[in-house]
Amino acid sequence: MVVLVVAVFCIASLAKAADTVKVGLISVLSGPLAVIGNGEAWSAEMAVKDFGTVLGKKIEFVTRDHAYNPGLANEKAKELYEKENVDVIVACPNSAAALAVAQQALLHKKPFMSTSAGTTDLIGKNCNRYVIKMNYNDYMLATTAGLWGAEHLGKRWYTITTDYAFGHDLLKNFTAALAKKGGTHVGNDMVALQTADYSPYILNALKAKPDVLVLLNVGSDTVNAMKAAVQYGLKKQCKIVHAQLFEPSIKGAGIEIFADNYVAAPWHWKVDHPGAREYADKYLKLHNERPHYMAAAAYSATWQYLEAVKRAGTTNPESVIKALEGHTFRDMFNNPGYIRPEDHMTVAKAYLLRVKRPENVKEKEDFFDIVGSVPPEEAYGPPNLFGCQMKGF
Amino acid sequence: MDYNFIFAQLFNGLILGSIYVLLSLGLTVIFGTLGVVNFTHGALYMLGAYATYTFVTLLNLHFIFAILICPIIIGLIGIFLERLLIRKLYKLPHFYNLLLTFGIMFFIQDVIKIVYGPEGEPFNIPRFLDGSINLGFMLLPQYRLFIILITGFLALGVWLFIDKTKLGAIIRAGTDDSEMADALGINIPRTFTLVFGMGAALSGLAGVIAAPVQDVQPLMGMNFLVEAFVVVIIGGMGSIKGSIISGLIVGELITIGIIFWPPLATTLIYIFMAIVLIIRPRGLMGRAAFFE
Amino acid sequence: MKIDDKRSFWILPLAALFFLVLPFITPYKALASQMLIFAIFAIGYDILFGYTGLLSFGHAAYFGLGAYGAGLSLVHLSVPTLPALLIGVIISVLLALVIGYLSIRRRGIYFAMVTMAFAQMIYFIVFKWRSLTGGRDGLQGVPRPNVGPINLSSELTLYYFILFFFMISVFLGIRIIHSPFGKAIECLRENEDRARSVGFNPTRFKLMSFVISASFAGLAGGLYALLQNFVPLHALNLDTSGDIVLITLVGGKGTLYGPILAAMVILFLKDLLTSYINIWPLFLGLFFVISVMTFRRGIFKELKEKLLKF
Repeated sequence: MVVLVVAVFCIASLAKAADTVKVGLISVLSGPLAVIGNGEAWSAEMAVKDFGTVLGKKIEFVTRDHAYNPGLANEKAKELYEKENVDVIVACPNSAAALAVAQQALLHKKPFMSTSAGTTDLIGKNCNRYVIKMNYNDYMLATTAGLWGAEHLGKRWYTITTDYAFGHDLLKNFTAALAKKGGTHVGNDMVALQTADYSPYILNALKAKPDVLVLLNVGSDTVNAMKAAVQYGLKKQCKIVHAQLFEPSIKGAGIEIFADNYVAAPWHWKVDHPGAREYADKYLKLHNERPHYMAAAAYSATWQYLEAVKRAGTTNPESVIKALEGHTFRDMFNNPGYIRPEDHMTVAKAYLLRVKRPENVKEKEDFFDIVGSVPPEEAYGPPNLFGCQMKGF
Repeated sequence: MDYNFIFAQLFNGLILGSIYVLLSLGLTVIFGTLGVVNFTHGALYMLGAYATYTFVTLLNLHFIFAILICPIIIGLIGIFLERLLIRKLYKLPHFYNLLLTFGIMFFIQDVIKIVYGPEGEPFNIPRFLDGSINLGFMLLPQYRLFIILITGFLALGVWLFIDKTKLGAIIRAGTDDSEMADALGINIPRTFTLVFGMGAALSGLAGVIAAPVQDVQPLMGMNFLVEAFVVVIIGGMGSIKGSIISGLIVGELITIGIIFWPPLATTLIYIFMAIVLIIRPRGLMGRAAFFE
Repeated sequence: MKIDDKRSFWILPLAALFFLVLPFITPYKALASQMLIFAIFAIGYDILFGYTGLLSFGHAAYFGLGAYGAGLSLVHLSVPTLPALLIGVIISVLLALVIGYLSIRRRGIYFAMVTMAFAQMIYFIVFKWRSLTGGRDGLQGVPRPNVGPINLSSELTLYYFILFFFMISVFLGIRIIHSPFGKAIECLRENEDRARSVGFNPTRFKLMSFVISASFAGLAGGLYALLQNFVPLHALNLDTSGDIVLITLVGGKGTLYGPILAAMVILFLKDLLTSYINIWPLFLGLFFVISVMTFRRGIFKELKEKLLKF
């Protein structure tokens, strides 16, 4: 009887039709970080719809939830490449998850456009020719904020880091950038992911009397850390720099908590790129909020993949990858962006943002001012900084 | 040695400990009386927080209203669960109820995830309790003081109720020897239902209090649940005094761990729990030989 | 599960055929491999929970340690596949000896809670020991070295490799259950005091049962590491402990075949339900509740009884 049930379900699950191009997205669609994944899924879907058809074929779009869990991401990648027969996987936040998907991309010989994981291992020791890295990486976020901040904000830095690959990478790169500009790292706390009570760590930070507090965390951890920083009086004593800060966190907790905080970012919806404002307005109309840069990156990655398919004239993985390597493009996300053939990192200008004070917010979710920028060579470092030895084909 | 700093951290540990005490009260009352390891505790805690969010943010009612009404609602949900499902398994080996409540917890959590969304809801400290008090060696957020006060009040209240009132005596009798109590005319099933409802209400109240300082999301209870069990086991399943003491100990242990050796902080309490279970399963103050 | 019945004579060849074609029926081959892995895990767990009557709520520890043990030896010590699996099993067994010895003295709920506490401890130690295990990110880059001339890089070949171990596990499981040891533990489950009066040493038998079940879990874990090419921290999580309890309970504890079938069906459903919308925990909870309230002997046993009535 089990056999019958299983067989029925298998027949019911359709294989991909030969005359469509299928885009798969793996992201965090449940749990507290779902705000990132939902944005990515909505944007990628928008890109698919906006693109229309490619090489005369329809474009299909499927999503899978990995719940921020690397093991699940691994399984879903296998499923998407094999059962759903997708032509490409995009997104995948969480560095460990992305590394697992990158491995599957190599095994199944199909492309993976990694947009939302920060680990430089993707363009370093775990690189392979089927992976194209877009958007930020940990080196870029930390170095941009570190270089600019050490010049403009202060020399004594205290860090609070989330205890996983992302946090560790950021910490390493921040301290390196700080040292380059003659700053001092006065202390660090490692905090478990999704900790709710940051008071012990804020107390530690207070004790160290820093000029700048750096929060190397994301999502609810950022919010909780800031709430504690305000409550225990740390916000009044020093400047605060975030590794990542998105509109939903500001909206949820209230902009007063984040006012005058700094963050590095590859993009903001008010940036002067072709099509950025239109994209942001369309997104606002559809979803009643402004897009964060993870969402924008997913749009760009999907769009650039489809453009590459058009250029190559085929969905054959090796040809599409070759059409992406060394390519320079201008879209709403990067203006311009250049995909380095040495390590497959897409490099572009990086921005510094500062959160506005409540009285300065003029339109819906207009939370940031763009206060500075860093050129791509400094933000991303030289090509193949991380020792990538391309394998694959 | 910076004494101000250490004192501030220890004080903070007291606050964390209070939250643990609040969490474990509901659990210990139910286990002590009914012998049920109530995994739904985590889900009821989460429901308390969501109910608070619904009343305060969505319906614009005052936080005080939430504190008074939400525990009652959660208590009623508990009573409903007990009458519908849990009581049917009292006669079976206790692990069946453990598994049942485990399953109910997952079900409730997912229902909330479907209804409210998986991202969780932002919930801030109510205006009238926001702000900090300058204690000299540190700034104490008003809300955390509120937590200590409420927990103290509740713990005292529950202990007095069980130990000193007639209804409390009935509950204790029903636990120690339910057949005898039954023979004496006490309505055991109704007593058990009442106790379960009380335990559920306490869990719900913990959720209400925690909502401003914890992330309100569907899995918030599960994250805390295992630590709540640790507190109850160390203190002694069924002993309210034990739960209070062990809650504070666990809070301080974790905080001390964070100061001196962060990697060990959470592992420390599990080691403690294992030691207690092996050497003295009844915990610090549990009633002897309940399940040995 | 008796195989000397004439009617059940055709079960064996039919089952063999089913397992041989399974990877072609399931949506993707890795899922079939996963089903077998959890079936192996379930066989061992049923010996402990179903036949000995001990509810361990922390068995993910042995599954996870098997995975990390095999994974670490493959990544850092570059041992071949079979020795790596053996190392995984040995590590699980050693820990099970220690933890089992300390936990067995307690009964019922306390036993369940101690096993849970130890599993949590192991989870946090592995979590914090980032330099060795990769912490929250798991152990990346687990290779699949060839076994002699057999190349394991294809999912299909790996499936048949796992199938081999599955068959051994089933064989061992049946032999254990029908042995004097098997009778002794069932006797223990029914009435411990009477078993003791007849001369069985309950502690020794319970410990043996615990360790045996851990060895199956360890083997399953090692195979899991090979399948995923990576060991997720989640393998040690309370969720995983809960999963195996559910599988055994729903399948029918104390039947051996029930948990095997349940492992496959539940994994299939889980994959199906998480593909479209993630409401798996809802069904998990529902299955638990329904099983505990009504199908306490397990769905498959109930179904078998109903079918036999025809």
